[in-house]
Amino acid sequence: MTVNAVPIILVDLVGSFLMIVISFLCLSMAARLRRRAPDEILWTYLWWVCLGMAGFSLSRSAGHILKQVLVLTDHREIWRVINPYSGAINTLMFILVASVTLYFERVWAAYQQILADKREIQAASRELVYLNQNLEELVTERTEALSRSEHKYRRIFELSRDIVMVTTVDGTILDMNPAGYSAFAGTERPRQTPVGSHIRGLLADPGDWAHIGRVIDANGFVTNAELVLRRPDGSERMALVSGSLDRSASGSDTVHLLIKDIEQRRQMERQLAQTDKLASIGEFSAGIAHEINNPLGIILGYTQLLLRREAGDSERYEDLKTIEKHVRNCKAIVEDLLNFARSSPPVKGRIDIHLIIDEVVQFIAQHARLEDVAIERRYGQQIPPLLLDEKKIRQVMMNLIMNARHAVGRHGTIRVETGLSPGQDAVQVRVIDDGCGIQKQDLIRIFDPFFTTKPTGQGTGLGLSVSYGIVRNHGGDIGVESTPGEGSTFTVTLPVDEEQAR
Amino acid sequence: MRLHVATSLVVAGLVTVVGDPAWATQTHGEPEGLVVHQMAHLFFAVSMGTLSYWLGARGLTVRRGWRYIRYGAVGLICWNLNAFIVHLLDEQTDLIGVQQVDPLTLFLAPRPGYELLAPLYYVVKLDHLWCVPAMIFLYFGLRCLLRESKAGDAPPEVS
Repeated sequence: MTVNAVPIILVDLVGSFLMIVISFLCLSMAARLRRRAPDEILWTYLWWVCLGMAGFSLSRSAGHILKQVLVLTDHREIWRVINPYSGAINTLMFILVASVTLYFERVWAAYQQILADKREIQAASRELVYLNQNLEELVTERTEALSRSEHKYRRIFELSRDIVMVTTVDGTILDMNPAGYSAFAGTERPRQTPVGSHIRGLLADPGDWAHIGRVIDANGFVTNAELVLRRPDGSERMALVSGSLDRSASGSDTVHLLIKDIEQRRQMERQLAQTDKLASIGEFSAGIAHEINNPLGIILGYTQLLLRREAGDSERYEDLKTIEKHVRNCKAIVEDLLNFARSSPPVKGRIDIHLIIDEVVQFIAQHARLEDVAIERRYGQQIPPLLLDEKKIRQVMMNLIMNARHAVGRHGTIRVETGLSPGQDAVQVRVIDDGCGIQKQDLIRIFDPFFTTKPTGQGTGLGLSVSYGIVRNHGGDIGVESTPGEGSTFTVTLPVDEEQAR
Repeated sequence: MRLHVATSLVVAGLVTVVGDPAWATQTHGEPEGLVVHQMAHLFFAVSMGTLSYWLGARGLTVRRGWRYIRYGAVGLICWNLNAFIVHLLDEQTDLIGVQQVDPLTLFLAPRPGYELLAPLYYVVKLDHLWCVPAMIFLYFGLRCLLRESKAGDAPPEVS
């Protein structure tokens, strides 16, 4: 098959020429790119690729052109000599270009890393310049911020009414806020301090700390654990403790505790429970009293009817008198129960409380044996007349003062004080004695009906419960504070009539 | 130091000039150069394929300059395969005989049963139709990159 070789020769010659021209144009472009950014490794890489391509094109195309010229001019022998060298150089250039090209991925990775480093360095540089230019101002701002922060948290620490305490893991106290000093040292000044002592010494039951310590050790914190604190005066207070373990890199771990005194809340809860209990008992008692009162009236009526028919010196007359006496006792008890249950509404009139107290004190002074018992009266100024059921309030005063009389025994002092409440909206009558006091476990039951500490037959146990009912029926309140062996204080609070107050 | 250099040169000269062929060395006969050349073509094609792959994998081909460079790389792959076939037909097989009748005429004599090799041979001899466009794409790619660089576009930061 004979073919025309002209297209092949033409394409070879023109193509070779173009390869040289274009490859050097590419090299020129790459060189210009490189000049624009000499530090850009990517442009340097392209320049090397183009350099290889230019070398390859030059060696190959020059060989091809030379071959065509020598063949066309019938100098084949010369070409046979040159041919191996031309081919070898051409092969070397292939390998060079291919090798350089293969490095693209590595160059690209290096390029990206350089860019990332460059960005970081630029950012760090900008930050350094900024810090350098604003160092003094920044230090001042930071110092002020730290100072504000320190002041804020210091104030929280110092002004907290709850106890904030820092201890070691084993419970040795390291620091405590003024509320803590106040609770445990009796002063807010740190010089009289339990710091350095063990927290067990502040607890009524030292075993509480062992439990809390175990919980903190296991969980890293403790929440609302109940414990009883012992104050310097020996009194005990219920408290809730929350705390957490602060782990330190230096190994000196500490425990931060927040101790909240809940004694007052507990007392209020107890009072509330007591009030509810007394109200329930009152309703129950009123029901029974009403049912018993009527039959008692009938028994008393028939007894008195029979008494009229009997001779005064007969045995039957004496028996009927005994029945009458005990029925009257029963009616008195029922009456007391009704008073306690507030079933009978008070008949109120405007009266001076001091007059009632005076009458009661005089009555007791005349009828009770007061060998060595002093009754003092300290009346407050500007006590207004109160809207009271005189008879019932007298009964309350009688009960309280007689109880005080029994408490002091043969020797002692009873003091009756009056005064306005802090809000000026009530009158407080306090009956204070320095008698035997009331045991703590009895305090919560003292207003219960039929509760008495007196020997059997000496009291019905209704005096204080009746007084409680009467005072509550007047919109007031009655409370007691007592320390065994030191005495008791009963406080009756009676509201001031608003019209009168104005 | 100078003594060491002089000694080395003397030993090298003696070995080159007076030494006999040693059986321990391998001889390099005539076809070896062609085989190396063919392997270089394959190596060149593989390297261009690798470049083309990475340009795509790194997302650079979204930019026109790099896309043109990729086209150039693909063109050079085709050229290498074309050149490989030409060399194969020219010098490594007896499938086709080529005689120059005169400077402007060729006589192609394919083996019986391989007649299609004659037109194939003619076409693959026009190998510049692959490599010249490839170089043109490379040129346009570089020109685009230069323009982008002049326009202040950030250097490629594609992952």
